[in-house]
Amino acid sequence: MKSTFKTSLISLLLIITTAFVAKAQDTRIQLGSLDHLAAKASETVDVNVDERLMKLAARVFSDKDEDQRQIKKLIEGLKGIYVKSFEFETEGQFGAADLEPIRSQLRGAGWTRMVNVVSKKEGNLEVYLQFAGEMINGLAVLHTDDKELTVVNIVGPVDLDKLAQLEGQMGIPDLGIESTKSKKKTNEQ
Amino acid sequence: MKTTATKIFIAVFVMCFISMPVTQAKGDDFNSVVKMIEEFYNVKHEGIPFLAKAGMKVATTAARIKGGTARRLAEAGSIKLAVFEDQKFNGDFAKFRSSLNQSLKVTWTPLIQTISTAGEEQTYIFLRDNGDKTNVLVITIDERDATVVQVTLSAKNLALLLKDPEGTGKSITEEATLIDQE
Repeated sequence: MKSTFKTSLISLLLIITTAFVAKAQDTRIQLGSLDHLAAKASETVDVNVDERLMKLAARVFSDKDEDQRQIKKLIEGLKGIYVKSFEFETEGQFGAADLEPIRSQLRGAGWTRMVNVVSKKEGNLEVYLQFAGEMINGLAVLHTDDKELTVVNIVGPVDLDKLAQLEGQMGIPDLGIESTKSKKKTNEQ
Repeated sequence: MKTTATKIFIAVFVMCFISMPVTQAKGDDFNSVVKMIEEFYNVKHEGIPFLAKAGMKVATTAARIKGGTARRLAEAGSIKLAVFEDQKFNGDFAKFRSSLNQSLKVTWTPLIQTISTAGEEQTYIFLRDNGDKTNVLVITIDERDATVVQVTLSAKNLALLLKDPEGTGKSITEEATLIDQE
């Protein structure tokens, strides 16, 4: 009888843990659908700083070094940074169909497109935040140009100010992102 | 019945312990990567020419790092280096990348991977947690040359790598080849 109770308890704990892990991973955008573009691209960059590496980074960044102390503060609580970037020799190497698997994930629950964000760089910039109530759980940036495509996904509590400060660090490209007002537009239309 | 079960348990337990070092030896991913490059591109790494030792295929430069500007990244005695010089590295980038990731995925975490088809350059940086140390595997391949470097980084230098993966990865390769030329 006791043994059955223990087994049930362990099973319940496992289910709860799995549910929490699944929830934590919700803001991770699956970028694998873009991999086929690498064959056409002249430059491909793939950055993968997962939760384990984030923890490692938080551990090794020194409080004595001003730069590192700042980054350490910025990445506090983050669970991952993922970047895929492609540069092409000629125009028209990718289209809406290539981006649809990414956009469809960003149309999912909780994701909100920010309309008040601009980039100093040329091209089209889309910034999405995932909210859980007032809390931000993740961020995704889609930057497209005629010959360039960059997707950045940060998992965890991150806002545009943090992103702007993290540009050029930890493999995040410099997208020249600037926030204007705190207006937002939801995807649910 | 109980005795048999106990015996089986002890046997399995002992076998686990015996097999541990074997597993570690098999887990020498550095050699696997070198071999994979050789097989995929049909090339041979030429040993370390500057050591001028015929048959010395891979140099493990034990304790060669004593400090100094060009030697500040890797921990003493931690460098494994394999160099491929003046050979043709023609092949499908995507296929190679996929094979590489597949073979290292159990123990290594990919940090950054860059491919430039224009210059036929590929750079792969993987990290492996090794207790209080972190191993870094940097693989660079271009049209005619390739380098595989495995180093152990201190926390300080690991921070540099995480802050600037691409730049520090290049420095690791440059440093490893520089050290060996000395």
